[in-house]
Amino acid sequence: MSIHIPILIIISPLLAAFLVLLTRKYKIVLATGSIIISIVFTSTLSSRVLSGDKIAYHLGGWRGPLGISLVIDGLSFFFSLIALGLGLLVIIYSIPERHYGRTYYFLLLVSLSSMIGVIYTADIFNMYVFYELLSLTMYLLIAYPKTGVTLRASFSYLIMGGVGLSFFLLGVGFLYAMTGTLDIFHIAEKLPAVFNSSTRMVLMSFVLIATGMGIKIAVFPLHGWLPDAHSMAPSPVSALLSGVTVKIGIYCLIRVVYTVFSAEMFFLINSHNILMVLGVVSLLFGASMALAQKDLKRLLAYSTINQLGIVLIGLGIGTELGLTGALFHILNHAIMKSTLFFCAGIMIAETGTREVQGQNGFGRQQPAITFAFIIASLGMIGIPPVNGFTSKWLICLAAVEAGYVVLVAIILIASAIAAAYYFRVIQVLLSVPLKQDPMPGHEGEQMIHRGNLFRSWPIYILATGCLLLGLLPTLGISLVKPAVSFLLSHAVP
Amino acid sequence: MNPVNISLLVFMIGLYGVMSKNNLIKKIMGLTIMNGSIVLFFISIGYRKGGLAPILEKGTTGGGIPTTIFVDPLPQALMLTAIVIGISVTALALAMIVKIYSKYKTLDIQQLSKER
Repeated sequence: MSIHIPILIIISPLLAAFLVLLTRKYKIVLATGSIIISIVFTSTLSSRVLSGDKIAYHLGGWRGPLGISLVIDGLSFFFSLIALGLGLLVIIYSIPERHYGRTYYFLLLVSLSSMIGVIYTADIFNMYVFYELLSLTMYLLIAYPKTGVTLRASFSYLIMGGVGLSFFLLGVGFLYAMTGTLDIFHIAEKLPAVFNSSTRMVLMSFVLIATGMGIKIAVFPLHGWLPDAHSMAPSPVSALLSGVTVKIGIYCLIRVVYTVFSAEMFFLINSHNILMVLGVVSLLFGASMALAQKDLKRLLAYSTINQLGIVLIGLGIGTELGLTGALFHILNHAIMKSTLFFCAGIMIAETGTREVQGQNGFGRQQPAITFAFIIASLGMIGIPPVNGFTSKWLICLAAVEAGYVVLVAIILIASAIAAAYYFRVIQVLLSVPLKQDPMPGHEGEQMIHRGNLFRSWPIYILATGCLLLGLLPTLGISLVKPAVSFLLSHAVP
Repeated sequence: MNPVNISLLVFMIGLYGVMSKNNLIKKIMGLTIMNGSIVLFFISIGYRKGGLAPILEKGTTGGGIPTTIFVDPLPQALMLTAIVIGISVTALALAMIVKIYSKYKTLDIQQLSKER
């Protein structure tokens, strides 16, 4: 039993997904139950993984290059915790929405199980299959309300995502042509041997895979789909998209840059510099576009591009401190951004408008939700008692240590812009309502009060998480440590 | 020209279709062409001239036929999966196009982006 835990973590939500389709009454119990089971299974592995152990599970007992294996090391454990934890909160947050039927929970569970699949698998083609499954469910979840705007947003994501994954698959094809294996760790072993004879093919496959994942994580020139998809989707799905799905792309990029193309690419094209440049561009672009937005959720969507830029900078610096900061910022961003999207969902439901200006006086109606929103946005800006500060600080320290002082200035400028757009929202929230509008308030209030418990608890939990990680950053860093040491053991000495 | 180069050329044609066409259906056609080119690419990786199907028969194990003239079966197996995935993406996209058309009465992406 205990050796089968890695596959059980994937199967539990997948099985529940199909059971959800059969029942009408117990869909929520099944969905939450299966994710809780997965979390329990994952936490039984925690002591082994956190002590630096690597757990490998061979599907069907076929080892090595022949079969597909699931590998849980520090890196995949860290990402799977983010995916499962936020997935549970997203399901709880969706409970009060009565019109979300069985298919909604089905899609949510399939997407969560395929996320875990992407994270755990050691077979690069299997990674593609799981990623395509994840993307399919995400297109459907974005288009779930079936209105014109969501269909358009989902379609543009489908086109971009389809192109990105085609690039990824072509890159995998090049890797297979060179090494004759699909297992990530075997490719990493065999690649140095073929590197001198076919440098161009190695370069080609790296470029293809990096571009494909670049589309998925919306780095600056490839970001076109993100603002629409993230802002038009239903609020719980927005939180999932922005908090977790984008992180899966980053996970694949980290695997590819640090595990597959470790040493030789570093000397050839200095892939780290590329990451850093892309990070800086997305950081400044995301920040300045967010400043110009009037729509609340669109502002949050551009802010995602901004924060991912910081993560890419941290990854690009590539020292121990930089990687710690980047991975810690991934965790922090997942927590903060889903808090913000959850709050935005309640605000939009209550005030009946998506405009920032329309949120006037919300702070007086729902002080607790507003407080959570303020905490999370302070974290986004990077103000000390909240978690965003620690990770940004670590990345800045790493930048100074590695001699890139300019990066610190750029991060600070972007933080100042972030302060400008978040304070604008906070100011509107706290201001006195302009005029008492009796029309939307009555109906909206009833809806919120009925589902208040389920809607607000995920927000309180996440906001507490923000403060906790801000006050006790060692808690998060101890989670990140095994991932960083794993990455450093594979990178250039 | 070897099949690998041809498949890359077809990939580029598909990419051109996705990027430059305004009609949603033509974009999906471009995506399908890209998918097809990847299938061609993988199959041509595993191709051996005069290769046989990789089936071990009784008696030929050990001595008989050297392994080099077998066609590599793994890319073929992978491409079966990729074709299925490609079909499901295309089906989803076409279903969305039907919905979009019934809402906006147009398939032109320029006009769609003007609609609110």
